[in-house]
Amino acid sequence: MIGARASTLFRRSPVWAAVVLLYIVAAIVSPAMLKPAQMLNILQVTAFLGLVATGQTMALLTGGIDLSVAGVVTMTNIVATSLMLGQNQNIAVAIICCVLLGTAVGIINGLLIAVLRVAPIIATLAMNSILFGLALVYTGGAPHGSSANAFNVIGQGRWFGLPASAICWLVVAIGVAYMMRRTTLGRWIYAVGANEAAARLMGVPTRIVVVTAYALSSVLAVLGGLLVTAYVGNPSLGIGNQFLLTSVVAVVVGGTALTGGIGSVAGTIAGALFVTELTSFTNIAQASTGTQYVIQGVLIAISVVAYRMLGARTAA
Amino acid sequence: MKKIMMRRREALKVGLGAAGLVAIAASGATALADAISSAKIVGSGEMAKGISKPGKLRIGFSNGFSGNTWRTECLTSMLNEAKLNTDRYELIVVDGQGDISKQVNDLDDLIVQNVDAILCIANSGTAVVPAFRKATRAGIIVVPFNLPVEGEHWTAYIGTDPEKKGATTGKALNDMLGGKGKIVALGGLPGNSYTAGCWAGAKSQFEPGIQILAFKDASWQEDRAKVVMADLLAAYPQIDGIWCDGGQDAAGALKAMIAANRPLVPATGDDYNGLFKLYDAQKASNPKFKIACVSEPSWEGVVALRTTVKLLSGQDMPKRQIIYPLLIDDSNYTQFMKPGLPDGVFVDTLLTDDQLKKLFG
Repeated sequence: MIGARASTLFRRSPVWAAVVLLYIVAAIVSPAMLKPAQMLNILQVTAFLGLVATGQTMALLTGGIDLSVAGVVTMTNIVATSLMLGQNQNIAVAIICCVLLGTAVGIINGLLIAVLRVAPIIATLAMNSILFGLALVYTGGAPHGSSANAFNVIGQGRWFGLPASAICWLVVAIGVAYMMRRTTLGRWIYAVGANEAAARLMGVPTRIVVVTAYALSSVLAVLGGLLVTAYVGNPSLGIGNQFLLTSVVAVVVGGTALTGGIGSVAGTIAGALFVTELTSFTNIAQASTGTQYVIQGVLIAISVVAYRMLGARTAA
Repeated sequence: MKKIMMRRREALKVGLGAAGLVAIAASGATALADAISSAKIVGSGEMAKGISKPGKLRIGFSNGFSGNTWRTECLTSMLNEAKLNTDRYELIVVDGQGDISKQVNDLDDLIVQNVDAILCIANSGTAVVPAFRKATRAGIIVVPFNLPVEGEHWTAYIGTDPEKKGATTGKALNDMLGGKGKIVALGGLPGNSYTAGCWAGAKSQFEPGIQILAFKDASWQEDRAKVVMADLLAAYPQIDGIWCDGGQDAAGALKAMIAANRPLVPATGDDYNGLFKLYDAQKASNPKFKIACVSEPSWEGVVALRTTVKLLSGQDMPKRQIIYPLLIDDSNYTQFMKPGLPDGVFVDTLLTDDQLKKLFG
């Protein structure tokens, strides 16, 4: 009975089962993982990756990829801290500026891909490079400023006993998941990713959909950048780099196909949890950074193969 | 090997003439009591031959990358120095953008431009060797600094010794803990040789009573260090000390302790302003909290530039000049801390507060 239920769970939501299994294994190896403080810590840290990966899901669902998220997070951190200057009265201006900049970046990415037909990997990688270069020019290599105390609450504080960052992430992710499942735009994104030509013939405004998806991806990366800025409080030119690979890993592990059209935000939530859990576990287990990189790479390969096999079995 | 010692202030204001060095050594000069000026430079007995070049000089600087505050302060100091000497030389700066092959191309370009000298902070200590060989064979003075390079195809080297720096902070942490306690260590970018050298030096100073719980890479970034330290805090209920080779790592780790409501413990780092500000703000409420930091002076580039000009003026110079920065701890940190400037400032700098404000403005 239990075996049958476990089997069903694996088939329906393999990534959630993996999250649970990994946690059990990690807790056996290191009981420290079972401490409530550590659970809350994982939730708090997952929020940054979770938001960026939610945006990455939009890009991957259209059949593309957004490698500019690292640059967007760095840009957000630099702009937010330099505008806030540690003053609470500057929070709103800083957030608005970051969101507007992120939207502009996403729209440009989308236009390059949908209108000028530049390959997504090239367009977004170029944008990432541009954003890092602009951050260098803007700061002159010497970033200044800091985030405001009232703003830092969303990265460091607790609401109802839970990390505020995790609540922000889950509220946004659930909202995006709802949009993807219950709104026309969501269905169009899936349709474009599954077969762009067919979607166009059905009357879907594919170019607008792609531009919107990349704009959403960038805005969500901005939100992730704001959370990580609130967590650390300071500017750093390298702060976004970690999200370049991990955001893709989280989405792929969460079951979204690199070819587009298949996947879900709910899966990405689990994927982000899995990746953070794994990093935390390998930190506690004293695995070297090299080992952590190897594990991430292996994880992408295994996930792609596993989901393809599961997909083939379902189709049969 | 004969060692020649000089004070940093003399190195910077008077220049690094070999005759002067010998004179200082002969007089048995020691470091000044003034904390900021008491870093000393030790030159090797082996000398590099100077080449007298008349007229206005053209000096190239191949910067491995320019994406952090230390490099910005270093480059700004060098540009300020060059601005004061426009009648004597022109400084041509090229940026490797963190890319090993781009830096090799940059070096080749400088050789083709027939510059008189090349200064370099190498992205890779081995990859630049062929370009250095080509340059020295073409009669170009080659002065790597900050990060060492392999081989002998260079004229003179200026920098700190990571192992000695690590030994200084390691001994300080050991002493702050009375030779007994559980520590964690946070390093820089994965696999970098600077952290490896520092950590090797630190470990050599720990007494048997020091138990190393974990060593993790934190990329010299506060956010990474904070995340990693949060995991380590969950794993280890008792952490008595934190060894770091960078102040950002230490600040991030200490902020994780604050977030976890754990009392702050002794920590090591470098001359990152944010660490001194954090110490200043928290020391009263954390009686066990102490710091011990060794700087990586951002004026290294100016010493390298002046050494190069001396060599091009025909003066012989020490082949290796090793900088011994001062230990900054709770007794003298206020002389270095810059409360009105951002956390990101590296305080062992030639730049004035006004120049730093402008730079970080």
